[in-house]
Amino acid sequence: MEGQGGAGRVNLMQLNTDMTVNRITDQVWEIPVSEKPGMLVPARIYASESILTAMDRGVFDQVTNVACLPGIRRHALCMPDGHWGYGFPIGGVAAFDVEEGVISPGGVGYDVNCGMRLIRTDLTLEDVRPRLELLMTELFRRVPAGVGAKGFVHLGRKEFAEVMRRGATWCIANGYGWQEDLERMEQGGCLDGADPSHVSDHAIERGINQLGTLGSGNHYLEVQVVSDDRIFDRAAAAALGLYGRDQVVVMVHCGSRGFGHQVASDYLKVFEKAMRRYGISVPDQQLACAPFRSPEGRDYFAAMNCAANAAFANRQVITHRVREAFSAVFDTAAEALGMSLVYDVAHNVAKVEQYREGTLLVHRKGSTRAFGPGNPDLPACYRDIGQPVICGGSMETGSYLLVGTDRAMQETFGSTMHGSGRTMSRAQAKRGVRGDQLLKDMKSRGILVKAVSMSGLAEEAGFAYKNISEVVETVDRAGITKKVAELRPIGNIKG
Amino acid sequence: MVMTFTFLDDVALADMAFDAAGDTPVELFRAATEALIESLADPSTVAQACYETVALQDDDLSALLFDWLGHLVYLKDARGMVFHHVTLALDRSSAYGIWHLRAEVVGAPVDQSTQDLRSDVKGVTKHLYALRQEGDRWKARVVLDV
Repeated sequence: MEGQGGAGRVNLMQLNTDMTVNRITDQVWEIPVSEKPGMLVPARIYASESILTAMDRGVFDQVTNVACLPGIRRHALCMPDGHWGYGFPIGGVAAFDVEEGVISPGGVGYDVNCGMRLIRTDLTLEDVRPRLELLMTELFRRVPAGVGAKGFVHLGRKEFAEVMRRGATWCIANGYGWQEDLERMEQGGCLDGADPSHVSDHAIERGINQLGTLGSGNHYLEVQVVSDDRIFDRAAAAALGLYGRDQVVVMVHCGSRGFGHQVASDYLKVFEKAMRRYGISVPDQQLACAPFRSPEGRDYFAAMNCAANAAFANRQVITHRVREAFSAVFDTAAEALGMSLVYDVAHNVAKVEQYREGTLLVHRKGSTRAFGPGNPDLPACYRDIGQPVICGGSMETGSYLLVGTDRAMQETFGSTMHGSGRTMSRAQAKRGVRGDQLLKDMKSRGILVKAVSMSGLAEEAGFAYKNISEVVETVDRAGITKKVAELRPIGNIKG
Repeated sequence: MVMTFTFLDDVALADMAFDAAGDTPVELFRAATEALIESLADPSTVAQACYETVALQDDDLSALLFDWLGHLVYLKDARGMVFHHVTLALDRSSAYGIWHLRAEVVGAPVDQSTQDLRSDVKGVTKHLYALRQEGDRWKARVVLDV
């Protein structure tokens, strides 16, 4: 390594790429436009030296592919939890001029508005531990997970169209949540510009029965504990309703399920044809895109917003069921248990936002919005501390709550990490541990797991993921988010 | 040789991938179909309780396989079913060169208490997707998003 502590060029032998990677700071690395024909802007990766060294080749290839897309501004970015994805890397951020730039389903991800939600309680570990088995059983019963699971909300097509248009606001109007929940969601739980007429029948048929379901893969519902010694910013934590003292919280990670995937698949096909018409060529067909202002681009944006709103509604219905489960197990109303929403944040979405370059379409794929203090888009209760950022770790380790910063607004289009990021394939993970063995091991460590699929459980073993603490330290030191608290799992539900 | 499929360990870090092969296009389609239904659930634990018929056509064999596998994923969500087996026929009209797929899909509604459920596949991706003829074998590589 050259230039320790300052600008310099990384020894190429250490990285999974032949490209030149220059050190900007200890947490920021840049691949110049000279490294790939067609790059319009440099690519920047946020990572510690050890995270950068461990990053797979796909990150370097894909973030530089993104840098070739028409209308991209400033940098193509990848966060420290980055790894190979479809088209964009997971952890990818890219902003495009709304007049000259493109929109790409590969920059949003198949699971549109996959996101995180955190619900606080006034309960402590001491309250919950004696009833944890019952609580997890009740949560597992009320929040369907796994292959083909259907939710308890039965909708006709007209009602589902309202879900697409109104997102979480539809849920509140129909009794699935509290009015105050809405202000504690990114964009109030409803993205403007959703138009169900641009969503296919197949997508609707896939999504209409899935409201209130978790899915499988890396999606989960987790009961967690906030200990005194794992709060890093007491003032911010207090503003977020977290006080430590082994306080129990609930984290939800899921998105738009098959509905969002169908929307993405439908428009990848549309864009493959549209690119020829618009004279756009891309280095990877998963980067298929269209001008944002084109009819195809507008239609996808309208359909994507429908899927994003369905995802907000999905997490809201799950929240309703979580409150019901806690209320039943503790024989107390959810309000009396203090089960307020801390925040809900998307990590797979494209949104129009204002930056110094002007009006931009910011794609975040496996990356979280992280607006800094004072931003008018934040609810009054959080405007002084910055936007809450919820980052999920593996089910064996822990998760983090952070807040956005002004620096994120300056450097990363108000964006940061979303989780820990995989380092190992699902097949490798299954070779490392059996699901039933993992279940027992975790129980012996005080983490109770309810899973639909034992093989699916093994795929999500903690050793298949990066060390989330190192990822969090990286964004904290880089100043693009500040850590507030670490959340330790005691119960997990997986599909 | 017979139709075969092999799950691939390290092609898609967060997802699932397989190679399928057969001596003929229809054998390849059957192999890829088996790989997909095995990804969702152990077929031996799925009853033969419901039936769906599917007819698709395309002049491009590669596009037809992609659409067919995507259709199975659609049936999984839209009908809430997993699959026991699929009877599949494939032929090409001599006049227009169009490939016609006809299939009877046999399975059962999802039942977590009786079925060995595996991954909730969300879709078929274009990443590394390829269908090709190598000598006398037809081969395809498919990456599934889970």
